[in-house]
Amino acid sequence: MRRFRWTEWILTAPPLLWLIAFFALPTGLILLLSFRSAAVHGGIGPEWTLNTWKSLADPVYPAIIWRTLWLSAACTGACIAMGLPVAYWIARLPRRVRSWALLLIILPFWTNFLIRIFAWRTLLHPDGALKALLVWLGLAEVNDQLLYNQWAVLLVLVYTHLPFAILPLYAAAERFDFGLLDAARDLGATRGQAFARVFVPGVRVGMLTALLIVFIPALGSYAIPELVGGPGSEMIGNKIAQRIFNDRNLPLASALSVVLAVAVFLPLMLGVWLRKRLGDGLVSRGGHLS
Amino acid sequence: MKLSRMPLLVSLLVLIFFYLPMGMLVLQSFNQARFGGDWTGFSFRWYSELWARRDIHEATWNTLRIAMTATAISMVLGSVAAWCLHRYSSRLQQLHRSLVYAPLVIPDILMGISLLLLFVHLNVPLSFNTIIVAHITFCVSYVALVLLGRLQDFDESMIEAARDLGAGWGTILRRILLPLLGPGLAAGGLLAFTLSIDDFVITFLLAGPGDTTLPIKIFSMMRRSSPQIINALSVIFMSVTFAIVILSQRLIRPKP
Amino acid sequence: MDAFIELRGVSKRFGELVAVKNTDLILRKGEVFSLLGPSGCGKTTLLRLLAGFLTPDAGEIMVNGRDLTKVPPNRRPINTVFQNYALFPHLTIRGNIAFGLEVARRPKAEIRREVERMLDLIQMTAHADKRPGEISGGQKQRVAIARALINKPALLLLDEPLAALDLKLRQRMLLELDRIHDEVGITFLYVTHDQGEAMSLSDRLAVMDQGQIEQTGTPAEIYESPRSRFVADFIGDTNFLSGPVSHVDDSAYVRLAVDGLGAGADRNPTELLAWKDRELKAGEFVNLSLRPEKIIVSRERPPEQPQRNILNGIVEDKIYLGAQTQFRVRVGDRVVTAQQQHNHFLLDTRPISWNESVWLSWHADDGYMIVEDGT
Repeated sequence: MRRFRWTEWILTAPPLLWLIAFFALPTGLILLLSFRSAAVHGGIGPEWTLNTWKSLADPVYPAIIWRTLWLSAACTGACIAMGLPVAYWIARLPRRVRSWALLLIILPFWTNFLIRIFAWRTLLHPDGALKALLVWLGLAEVNDQLLYNQWAVLLVLVYTHLPFAILPLYAAAERFDFGLLDAARDLGATRGQAFARVFVPGVRVGMLTALLIVFIPALGSYAIPELVGGPGSEMIGNKIAQRIFNDRNLPLASALSVVLAVAVFLPLMLGVWLRKRLGDGLVSRGGHLS
Repeated sequence: MKLSRMPLLVSLLVLIFFYLPMGMLVLQSFNQARFGGDWTGFSFRWYSELWARRDIHEATWNTLRIAMTATAISMVLGSVAAWCLHRYSSRLQQLHRSLVYAPLVIPDILMGISLLLLFVHLNVPLSFNTIIVAHITFCVSYVALVLLGRLQDFDESMIEAARDLGAGWGTILRRILLPLLGPGLAAGGLLAFTLSIDDFVITFLLAGPGDTTLPIKIFSMMRRSSPQIINALSVIFMSVTFAIVILSQRLIRPKP
Repeated sequence: MDAFIELRGVSKRFGELVAVKNTDLILRKGEVFSLLGPSGCGKTTLLRLLAGFLTPDAGEIMVNGRDLTKVPPNRRPINTVFQNYALFPHLTIRGNIAFGLEVARRPKAEIRREVERMLDLIQMTAHADKRPGEISGGQKQRVAIARALINKPALLLLDEPLAALDLKLRQRMLLELDRIHDEVGITFLYVTHDQGEAMSLSDRLAVMDQGQIEQTGTPAEIYESPRSRFVADFIGDTNFLSGPVSHVDDSAYVRLAVDGLGAGADRNPTELLAWKDRELKAGEFVNLSLRPEKIIVSRERPPEQPQRNILNGIVEDKIYLGAQTQFRVRVGDRVVTAQQQHNHFLLDTRPISWNESVWLSWHADDGYMIVEDGT
């Protein structure tokens, strides 16, 4: 028995130590360094202070935090709302066709995400074809800006995260017993009612996973608001980057990162706890494990 | 009757939504015009300009170098991690597991800045090596994840049979584990490779002055303007990634 | 006979396969009607046509005079108890039962009242707040029934509802279904391949084969006077003693010349007496169905009697079933199945055993002539 434990420790050591050194410790470092002052020429200053945190009271920051939260939430909501019908549709396709449909959905994800942002920036450009089409259809004015605002950021956020929402939703939909929808219709439900009252609750574990997979990374967006957003649509990520590159104010960047980390940690813990509760519930309830 | 068409309709709209920008990229890469607004003719000029751009070549080479190093090391670390997680279930592994899974959900900007602070604090200058360290850190998780999935399908009794027949761990590793887990390992490696060549935020934060990778190059080009040449670059980049993905899918496909 | 639910000329095909052929069916209000048949006979298709999940290629479906053929399933006054119950796992028992009224947006007070009534009917009030995963098969069965009944449908469809239950439970549930039906009075259409269920539960039943209804009638009618070989064979056991009419006169009986029953070297057909169920001509071929329980098995030769047939054979096999014994007796080239009820304590007499020579006798009235070729 003793011999066994040695093997385990020796084998686990390389990846574990690496992750501790380059992941766990640095994450802790962020918290620590947020309590240091900024050095005059950039970098980390010598003293311990609360000034860094106090400067977060500047009204700019709460507004940014709020905007980050609501953009991420809106993105998550849109992804789940669009993802549900798509997951439903794929799950009802004949088995052989399904993997092709999934591949089709996933393929755009495999391009570099800067390229995807670039593609949208060109599409949304004021001189671009899309704008011309909308003007022609009477849906937009000639002077309207499709780009460099919150809506462009939201659009590209959704574009980037939608495949991630569809996958767990599909995984749940695949395990769903579609005979339940027949039962619902038999009892008088319209197709819409059956979808809302039986299908959606039936895939709720998938919805939770999708929520976590979209909301949390979205909170940390940087490149998207930087490239398609305007000054009025900055998110925490931009501010962090600004503090690093423009001012070299690393402690402030740390403080902001701690805020981001908290914003990430809370829903994550909540989600994991909820998933456990839902997961257990489903096992004991009729064996429909998602 | 109408409502049953809804999921199909939404799915089609989503697919159009997904492929519209890509399609446009490909189209524009052949557009002769300097500004995307007009179509002045079919041309390969951007591709030939691309060929001539030394800075892009350099960035590409850097990207590949980083990716190959990071992939190799993360494959080793990731396989060991997956093996331990699969085989043991002690408290140590619980800690191990949370450390392996955490990078998957953390926004990359957080990981980037944490490593930046680490290196600044330790007075380590930023360079390709710092980038590689960062890439390994997140790749390990993905490789471990893929391999863990394969291990769960793996039939343990084969190992027991081999030990029963007298094989030592070295033999078992060489003649059973590697051949059977090979495809999963390769798939994990390809995944790591793709993530590495794709990465922007972390690389950007940890790059030293003058270090460029392809994503960083694209970003700085995009920052200033929208040169048409990016279209051609994108198309090539897309094709390469697609090829890698298809290759890796072939490898993970379960045997009939 | 007032037709409450009527299918007229309904047919349905799936590509090459014709699942239901030009079928007519009439259900009376409040009766328990069973559709009985082997797998693949089309009974499930017929069920789904009635429920509205399939649209017939031809024909009409009428309920109380209304043509429902094109009406979608959620708007039909027909509810289904599914084979696997299809209870909603995310709702409690109460939630499941209330579902039909909730999608109809009935007032909350009404929903509460009706749900309590249903819970009481199926005797599950104590379990109302559990989830489907926490109750047994028989209980799920009852919840599925209550859920379907709460809408007060004109017709309740039951798709092999007892298939997943073990024997004892099945017997109990049959009684339950009977009781529920008595209380509620709704027309039941019960689909099954188990004749025991169909016969014990139904007021009337129909036997289906290959997309067609072979015969409709009360259980006794179907059992005693099957209209085709298929029906006679599918329901219970029977012996087919068939042959041409060798003698017909004005009396109530005819003689049939049946092959293969002769003993030893006797290759001549045996003459059997049969009740003349219909007008026959000499030489006409008749299928005579003789149920095993109609035959008396004895060691001693029974005395000659005017309308009794007597055969002699060797017991090839016997199956002891407790209340009765089934004998497979070799008579000539054929095996005749006979059933002996044990009305007295069996072990007082020496039971008949293998390889014994026995006599089989029956009254000519007890055979039934099957109509050949649907005439």
